[in-house]
Amino acid sequence: MLADSLSMSVHERMPARAATSMDDSRALEQFLRGIERRALRMTEFASGNREEALDLVQDAMFGFVRHYGARASDEWSPLFWRVLNSRINDWHRRQRVRGRWLGWFERSDTAVDDDPIAALPDPGEPGPLARMADGEASAALETGLRALPLRQRQAFMLRMWEGLDVAETSRAMRCSQGSVKTHLSRALANLRHSLEAHR
Amino acid sequence: MKTPANEPWIDRSVALLEQSAQSLDAATLLRLNRARQAALAQRYGHRRGWAIGSGLAGATLAVLIAFGIGHRLHAPAGIKLDAAEHTMSDSVALTDDDSTDIYENLDFYVWLNAEQHGND
Repeated sequence: MLADSLSMSVHERMPARAATSMDDSRALEQFLRGIERRALRMTEFASGNREEALDLVQDAMFGFVRHYGARASDEWSPLFWRVLNSRINDWHRRQRVRGRWLGWFERSDTAVDDDPIAALPDPGEPGPLARMADGEASAALETGLRALPLRQRQAFMLRMWEGLDVAETSRAMRCSQGSVKTHLSRALANLRHSLEAHR
Repeated sequence: MKTPANEPWIDRSVALLEQSAQSLDAATLLRLNRARQAALAQRYGHRRGWAIGSGLAGATLAVLIAFGIGHRLHAPAGIKLDAAEHTMSDSVALTDDDSTDIYENLDFYVWLNAEQHGND
């Protein structure tokens, strides 16, 4: 009787374990499928090259699955961006060492206009992209984003596009929440300034 | 309070970025798909490979243990058999007719031995 109940419980548990593993695999695949296009575009802005971007995203997927695939699914998003940002930062360091750095990918933070009043948006003004057609606006946006320093672009992308909150963004960028706010504020000011130049 | 996220140009920027991500070409999507599958296979394939490796190692260990136990079980039986054979041969030697003749003619053999030593 006891043996029957034990064997039953073992048989009941085995498919449950297999199902959990299958569910994990499916959930992980769905997560990556949902994030990969944005990841590629963000990496492309950082590297300026689709081939490099594809390699970096693939590398990040491998690292993420290997190190964080077993974590709870609600932790995946900031952890994935953390891995990807780390790969992008490493890539930038390597590029600097090789001396193949293209000046227009990065601009020194010192070039940012730190005047807080100048950075404030005019509430009555529709914004720099308002009168542009989609194609023109996309080109202006791309140029503006590429001109941003790496950390500012990461803060903008993660906060505005990916929709991470400040805490998640700080985790993804491995910096304090205060730094995230600073990077984002500067990114918005710079991007606005850059887009206005296209009008 | 108006946050930066509410500003129309930011909303439009995000919409344009989303549009650019959704309009990636088929070759790029295929490569992303391959990258994703490879990353997932690394995790689940590795787990399967580990399980198969463990299974094979376990089976090999089981065969070795079985072989060792079998050898040990058979070895004492062989020893017992040899011992029994020796015991049997000794008992046969002591009880057969030729052996009893030795005891009956023991005086003769003692004399023969003394004669040989005397001649030496």
